[in-house]
Amino acid sequence: MLNRVKNVGYGDRTPFLNAAASVNLRGEIDSIIDEQVDQWYKTVPQAAHLEGKDVNSAYYKRHLIETAWRIRLLRVAEAKALVEVAKVSPEAAQIWAHYEQEEMLHDDLFIQDLQRVGVSREEFLATEPYLSTKLLAGFFSYLLDHEGPLGVIAYSYLVEYVNVKLEPRKLEALKGSVGESKIVGQISHSHTDINDDHPGEVWAALRFLIKGEQDIAALKRYLAEHQKVLAMYFNELYLDTLASPQAKVA
Amino acid sequence: MALHKLTVSSHGVDFELPSNSPLTDIEWEAGGKNVIPLGCRVGACGACLIKVKQGLDALNPRNDEETAFIELLGYSGADYRLACQCLIRGELAIEVIG
Repeated sequence: MLNRVKNVGYGDRTPFLNAAASVNLRGEIDSIIDEQVDQWYKTVPQAAHLEGKDVNSAYYKRHLIETAWRIRLLRVAEAKALVEVAKVSPEAAQIWAHYEQEEMLHDDLFIQDLQRVGVSREEFLATEPYLSTKLLAGFFSYLLDHEGPLGVIAYSYLVEYVNVKLEPRKLEALKGSVGESKIVGQISHSHTDINDDHPGEVWAALRFLIKGEQDIAALKRYLAEHQKVLAMYFNELYLDTLASPQAKVA
Repeated sequence: MALHKLTVSSHGVDFELPSNSPLTDIEWEAGGKNVIPLGCRVGACGACLIKVKQGLDALNPRNDEETAFIELLGYSGADYRLACQCLIRGELAIEVIG
């Protein structure tokens, strides 16, 4: 009998990656990201600025503003991604929905930290995000429409893995440079990522979306592409705040 | 439905909430925004940590996850709660820690 229903995630639900293969691939991906992080510090201007003893106030405030906007904009795209994930794998969708539930309102933590350094919510709302922030959101839209949800979920794995690895170091530095009482929101955000094992949660969703070798190859390319778009943001932030007038003209 | 008084002693403000409302609902009451710092609202970030000064029995009990996380944050004692996990069931006085 003909059944024309599709895009519901039935069929063979056994993941392409069994448990051992998933662990192995995750290890490989983590190594790739480690190399990307090394490259990041070598190529992105002032990549370690927030880990230093003297933090430029304009750089710090604008970074918090852009981070809050990035989180907010990407939440819309990630909510749309839930639809596309559910069409492929309701198992992955359940995990993704839980992850999004925990992350959904985290922009507020950064806005609270902005208020702690004298930037009001009104000032934040009146600041249009950088083009690079908008482009990242746009990239998500493109991916969902034309390549599928794997690329969107890959972004979250990249940032969660890097955050768990590097954020504690950055927060320790900010305690000294900005003041511990002024970074309470960022500390709370980090609690969720680390204590709730957000990298593990996102990987669990990714595992269900990887249906073959091509998806593994695609995942690796997505990680590199997201890094490029994030580098555009940090470059824009640097030019807008720290760069000398000569650097801006060049 | 009964309304219960919630006093936020650290801010000197009172609210009334219907029975079984999450404490975080004061965000939507006049003067309630920003009284309790809020983050994830699902018990995962610690932003909304409070200390119950009076009326511990007027809240739903803490579960193991909330207890473990509060201890991880460095606080021991049954009177520490995450506001987003609390449902008001009687008169209550709290102090904002987070």
